[in-house]
Amino acid sequence: MTEQTPRINAPLLQQYIGRTIRLVGKVSDVQGNGATLDSSGVVTVYLDRDSNLKIGNAVEIVGKVNPDLTVKVLTSTDFGENLDMRVYEDLVGICQQYKEIFYDS
Amino acid sequence: MDYGNYGGGGYTSYGAGGGVGAGGFSINYGGSQGGSQASPGGSASRGGRSASTLRPVTIKQVLEATQPHPEAEFKIDDVELTQLTLVAQIRSVSEQATNHTYKMDDGTGSLEVKRWVEATAIPDGPSQKLQPNQYVRVLGTLKAFGGKRHLGAHHIRPITDFNEIHYHLLEATAIHLQLTKGPPEQFGQTTGGVGHQMHGQGHGRDVAMGGMGAAAGGGGGSRQYPPDASFHCKKLIDAVRSKPQHTDGTHVNTLAQMSGLSLSEVEKAIYELTAAGLVYTTLDDNHVKILEEQI
Repeated sequence: MTEQTPRINAPLLQQYIGRTIRLVGKVSDVQGNGATLDSSGVVTVYLDRDSNLKIGNAVEIVGKVNPDLTVKVLTSTDFGENLDMRVYEDLVGICQQYKEIFYDS
Repeated sequence: MDYGNYGGGGYTSYGAGGGVGAGGFSINYGGSQGGSQASPGGSASRGGRSASTLRPVTIKQVLEATQPHPEAEFKIDDVELTQLTLVAQIRSVSEQATNHTYKMDDGTGSLEVKRWVEATAIPDGPSQKLQPNQYVRVLGTLKAFGGKRHLGAHHIRPITDFNEIHYHLLEATAIHLQLTKGPPEQFGQTTGGVGHQMHGQGHGRDVAMGGMGAAAGGGGGSRQYPPDASFHCKKLIDAVRSKPQHTDGTHVNTLAQMSGLSLSEVEKAIYELTAAGLVYTTLDDNHVKILEEQI
């Protein structure tokens, strides 16, 4: 199935090179069309246009993982200030562990 | 006895910890959820257990739901589906005169969700319109039409607390594991904490994520007391265990004597146990019976 976008975080980027993924992180820095997210590790993402990412907020991006482990953002959704990142970290692990209800392969 | 005095105190955490029966429908799966709106199709073949359940699922589970023959009920994990709920992001919106169709995506797949427009309904203001990329919670039933599956939605509401997205996926996993592997043996009650905590006006708008830590790391917990039981609560339970309880219950003053606690401490402990569903009042408000065998 091509429409799946696995939820991952920084440590898993390596396994998803070339694939479209979903990643939630806290925005730690924004410069031009690039931004740095913290998602159990540092992730550099690139946006097409000027980003509307807000530093300190959590954001969910859907994007493609480049070979250098940066992510090209297709869409982004602001998740606000009160997102519990520990829950996301646990969820990423659970999605990997119980793939049968989340993702093929 | 006015237990309302304690409402704002430290006791709310007990309920939010999702202890014995206080929390979500993962333990009570098959219970009373959605009873009043169940079975619009009125299929007589439905088993009692799943007849009126609201099941949290991922879209991948919906797409892989099995149907033994074309008119049969869909099944996930070999359990018939009635009402289901999912949390997903709207990818496209198509509004016709009689129904609105949304293409939704939750990362595990995509699915069409149809909602019939009620002729009598007040037209939604622009602020209520659902937009692409918005996250929503949907309640509905799975339908198949011309070999294509869609969800017939009864209710769609935007997500305002984004923790609910992650919470929903964890809840769907918990139910899936419970149905395929059985309830967790030692922490059956603790896992209930993953369930819904609905505050105030329904729909789980404020989702408490309590209980996960306990489910993951709660090793070595005593089986003799409810999880998170306070000191006074444990003392009260010990006292009750020391002597058979009368079926009419015991007066709170007697409990205070038996346990050596003050009356207000007993009342606090009873309040805590009431929140967990382990105490009921008998003859009057001052007589209570503790369901010690349930602990």
